[in-house]
Amino acid sequence: MDTLAIVIPFVPVLSAAIIFLFLRNRKGAAARLSVLATLLTFLLSLSLLGDYITSQVARVEWIGQIWGSIWLDPLALIMWTFVSGISLLVHMYSVRYMIEEPNYPRFFALLDLMTATIFFMVSAADLITLLVAWFLVGVFLYFLLGHDTDRSASGRYAFWTQITYRFGDLPLWLAAFILFKAYHSLSLPVIFAQVAAAPNAVQLWGMPVPAWVGILIAISAFARSAQFLLHGWLPYTMDGPTPVSALMHAGIVNAGGFLFNRFAPIFEYTSLALHIAFVVGLITAVLGSALMLIQNDIKRSLGYSTMGQMGFMVMECGLGAFPLAVFHLIAHGFFKASLFLGAGNAIGEARTEDGVPPDPVYVSVVERRPNKPSRLPLITAAALTILVPVLVLSLSHFFVASHLFFEQGVIILLFFAWVTGAQALFAAHKMTHSNPWQVMGGILGSFVLVVIGYTLISHYFGSFLYPEHGASERLFASASIGVLSYDVLVIILALLFVGGWALTFFADARDWGQHLSEKWHGTYVALYALLTRELYLNDFYVRMTQVLFAASRRLNVWFRWS
Amino acid sequence: MEWIVLLISAVLLPIFPLSLIFNRLVATAPGPWGRALALLVLPQLGILLLYHTGPFLPLPVLGQRIWLMMVLFTAVFYAFRAVSAREISIWSRLSASSGLALTWFLVASGSAMHFTELFALAWSVPAALLMIWAGLLSQRMGGAYLGLRGGLATELPRLSGLITISALALVATPIFPGFFAMLQVFHLLSLSWLWPLLLLLMIWGWSIGKFLQDLLFGIYQGEPLTDIGSTVTSVGAGVLFLFALFGLVWSGLWIGN
Repeated sequence: MDTLAIVIPFVPVLSAAIIFLFLRNRKGAAARLSVLATLLTFLLSLSLLGDYITSQVARVEWIGQIWGSIWLDPLALIMWTFVSGISLLVHMYSVRYMIEEPNYPRFFALLDLMTATIFFMVSAADLITLLVAWFLVGVFLYFLLGHDTDRSASGRYAFWTQITYRFGDLPLWLAAFILFKAYHSLSLPVIFAQVAAAPNAVQLWGMPVPAWVGILIAISAFARSAQFLLHGWLPYTMDGPTPVSALMHAGIVNAGGFLFNRFAPIFEYTSLALHIAFVVGLITAVLGSALMLIQNDIKRSLGYSTMGQMGFMVMECGLGAFPLAVFHLIAHGFFKASLFLGAGNAIGEARTEDGVPPDPVYVSVVERRPNKPSRLPLITAAALTILVPVLVLSLSHFFVASHLFFEQGVIILLFFAWVTGAQALFAAHKMTHSNPWQVMGGILGSFVLVVIGYTLISHYFGSFLYPEHGASERLFASASIGVLSYDVLVIILALLFVGGWALTFFADARDWGQHLSEKWHGTYVALYALLTRELYLNDFYVRMTQVLFAASRRLNVWFRWS
Repeated sequence: MEWIVLLISAVLLPIFPLSLIFNRLVATAPGPWGRALALLVLPQLGILLLYHTGPFLPLPVLGQRIWLMMVLFTAVFYAFRAVSAREISIWSRLSASSGLALTWFLVASGSAMHFTELFALAWSVPAALLMIWAGLLSQRMGGAYLGLRGGLATELPRLSGLITISALALVATPIFPGFFAMLQVFHLLSLSWLWPLLLLLMIWGWSIGKFLQDLLFGIYQGEPLTDIGSTVTSVGAGVLFLFALFGLVWSGLWIGN
């Protein structure tokens, strides 16, 4: 098994090398080899994961003497299986989808190299390997996104991705050197052990080293996972081939969540970075969802949906629910991959048949037409909407993980789950149906099943990922804030959500729509324009680049290009 | 005497403003092979001079700090200027000046001479290769300007491939030696000195992005061109492969030094 672990990441590298050297003009053979190599990688990763489940022993394997180490812990093994699974799907899909494209063999070779690089990234046990792999992901992604070199736009948007990734590389680089200089080791397990032994022993510029490192790691994760202010590139990655979009949105963009989890032993001893992550994640989640709603292009809409999901994932980290973020990224990866890979078919089918059933669910939820009042009594509906999610969520969580029940992060997550559940029930309440109890009953049943299933899976997944006793508690404790601030935060969030629902409900029920739209028309148009221009952030970045570029040119003229 | 050696070395291992002379020397060398040779030899001569004429820098401590600050300024300044260069040999000359300036940190830290020589080669070799590729491109297009007639990836896939990989090697992309050379510089400096180096990495990222955008993307609009032959491609790819391998093998020693 020791040799096997070292061999696995090199299987796709070998496949890429054979394609580049011998199969550049043999499309079929290149694709077959690439798919087989990825299948082999997936099966071997699965077997290593199985081996860990039976032995429960994490270990570090070394390829080089100073760097080039592989950490076979639960996080790496889960990520290996996930990444190779997604990569296999993308490979298989690309066999037919890319057949008409030029440089078909090169595309598969690049996919293989990307898979190998992500393998090294998620299993790196030392700072140099992590840095090398982290950098290389950006490089290979650039060439994958820019596969169609005839289109200037694909080059432009590949560049946007590359430059944002480079911005995110720098904090990780600095964090790596702070850790190295503070703890005199490149090995991550050794550094984490030293941090755990004396978290505040080493100070830097007036703060403990874990605090600086936490902030830098968080910024790096923000860039990779398209968080607010660093998100502009993500929707434009759609200009790349669809399989790359799938790989990007299902796998690579999740690297931020992975990075938080890899450095979890640091985040156990720093709160500031987690608070920043919560705020940034929350803004990103809200903004991503808002931007998604105004898109009329299915792929762009999926892009912003990814942004919203990434925001939620980072927010989970900010709350201390690190394993939940990994669970989230895996679940999101699979459903987003299926959505992307199915987007082409959906577009094709929509050209002949819109496929929209004359259904009250569609009319109510998608077209947002004014609804008739519900046939359920208002008080009953309100009680069901508000109380049932509270009961279901609280009880399921209490029985599964009672020791974490009173952690602030857990309560906030339960609060968001309550909001989501209540929103679903509220939408059901708004629908007209011959038997509203049947609709409500069906949704309640589904809700209970989803919540119990999710709670059970996420809890056992968390125990698998962080087997060390007390790690989850320390992360939740690190993410917590003062009681007063916390209470104020919860009250503000609750008021915002309940106020929003009340406004929506009464605007529909009492026909305030006309009055409101007249009064707030200007604000609405301004907000809509702001969102359609993506808050003018990309315009600002482009302008800034132009100014700097002109300055560079002027300097060259002054110094006569010497 | 020491001062003269120092000033000559500052020309050969470029520090602003003497770097202007270095760039002029490279630019006026005869033909692409001459420019490539100049990029390989001049920095090595500078290192030779510095290591064979006594201790580094006949300067007081403050003077040394100012000198090293000038080194950082030179690196950032030339990287920034390379962003707007669209001619391949100019881009590689400016980028090489940016990287080569960092060699002074190894000299100042008292690193062994062969480490310093290898460090300089991490920037000189890809820049020299780019000079040769620029020459081959000029033979076909009459000049090595990028972005004027659209992307070359489809029209000259082999040559543009070699240019791409050499350019990536020049801006410290892993797994090429430049990346590990940068790690070595980070290792040598104290944390408060690292910020300009981060800025340098950012500008290199921007510079290579612009360079590749102009080189690869768009539809070529011009006379049909003949790509380089398979022998030249194989030799070029072989040199770059060995260069990367060399970086991987030596990286452990550099980092551990």
